[in-house]
Amino acid sequence: MKCSRCREPAVVALPSHHAGFCAPCFDIFALRQVERAIKKHSLLSPDDRILVALSGGKDSLALMHILHRLGYTATGLHLDLGIDDSSEFARASVEAFCARHGFPLIVHEFAAQGIAIPLVRRAIKRPVCAVCGKLKRHSFNRLAREHGFTVLATGHNLDDEVGRLFANVLRWDRAYLADQGPLLPAEDGFVRKIKPLYRLTEFELANYCFLQGIEHHMRGCPFSKGASFSTHKELWEELESHSPGQKLNFYETFLKTGRPVFENLEQQEGASLSPCDVCGSPTSAEVCSVCRITAQVRGQARQ
Amino acid sequence: MITVTIEPDGLPFEAPQANTVLQLLNRMGLRSSRTLVIRDNRLLTPDQRLQHGDAVTLRKVGSKG
Repeated sequence: MKCSRCREPAVVALPSHHAGFCAPCFDIFALRQVERAIKKHSLLSPDDRILVALSGGKDSLALMHILHRLGYTATGLHLDLGIDDSSEFARASVEAFCARHGFPLIVHEFAAQGIAIPLVRRAIKRPVCAVCGKLKRHSFNRLAREHGFTVLATGHNLDDEVGRLFANVLRWDRAYLADQGPLLPAEDGFVRKIKPLYRLTEFELANYCFLQGIEHHMRGCPFSKGASFSTHKELWEELESHSPGQKLNFYETFLKTGRPVFENLEQQEGASLSPCDVCGSPTSAEVCSVCRITAQVRGQARQ
Repeated sequence: MITVTIEPDGLPFEAPQANTVLQLLNRMGLRSSRTLVIRDNRLLTPDQRLQHGDAVTLRKVGSKG
């Protein structure tokens, strides 16, 4: 296979783009996909203070790397979830990456708040992935605001976004469909949230990390076995193999024609938010779900 | 024979000869759109030929939470 741009031997084949690329041309392709996402949705401005959520996996490390290469200054934020035989490797991966590139890093430990994920798992009666996600999003927002950042960037890729959109469609979850996209503007106590990698697949990001020599954490979370998002991604991979480019088309078409409909509906009929009585974070209840979970976990730990 | 290591966490094993990367992936039940194929620290595309005695790493790229 020859590179579609320069005709040198290709190292990455991308059927969804009807293309193959050599290493230098793949690099141009990857950077352009992110630049295009940033420009198309006005994700960033030059004076933004950017906080990047770093899990230690390929996507978040690639995001930090690409943003710096595009000229943005960003600080990393790693949440240490306190999961034995997992979190220490993820944290080491992030710390080594930031030290190697001279990127500033903030590390926040869930255990210091009494909500290490194994404790949460024991205390709740439902799947821990959803609760863990809620706790992480809450911490990202709170820490971004406390440290004066104007925007929180996450490494969600096209497969993540399509998988989530698919799950939201299966439930016809109007509220989630109204705000799914690469940009969530700052409002009601939330910092702006952006997903600059939404046009790149997991495969493309894995190739980027390999070609840039980015060593990332590869072990899965021990608590995520059987999570539905993996099944949805597999289903989409099957669709994509029969019709290359369908993932990106599905997502971009949703952004253009589907999301505005749900946004309008939510503006008319959605729940209004007010500060949580305990932590001040925006919520549709008196006490936000994170504060309720935290109280439950701490109460259980004292027993 | 080809020596194959499937990442993460896999140990090397001997796989029957495959003529191309795509043939090897199909035999392993892996998708070319979800797997990096690495030989001598270089990426291979699905059409590339494999030789007897090659050592190949197959790196699955799916996030696992």
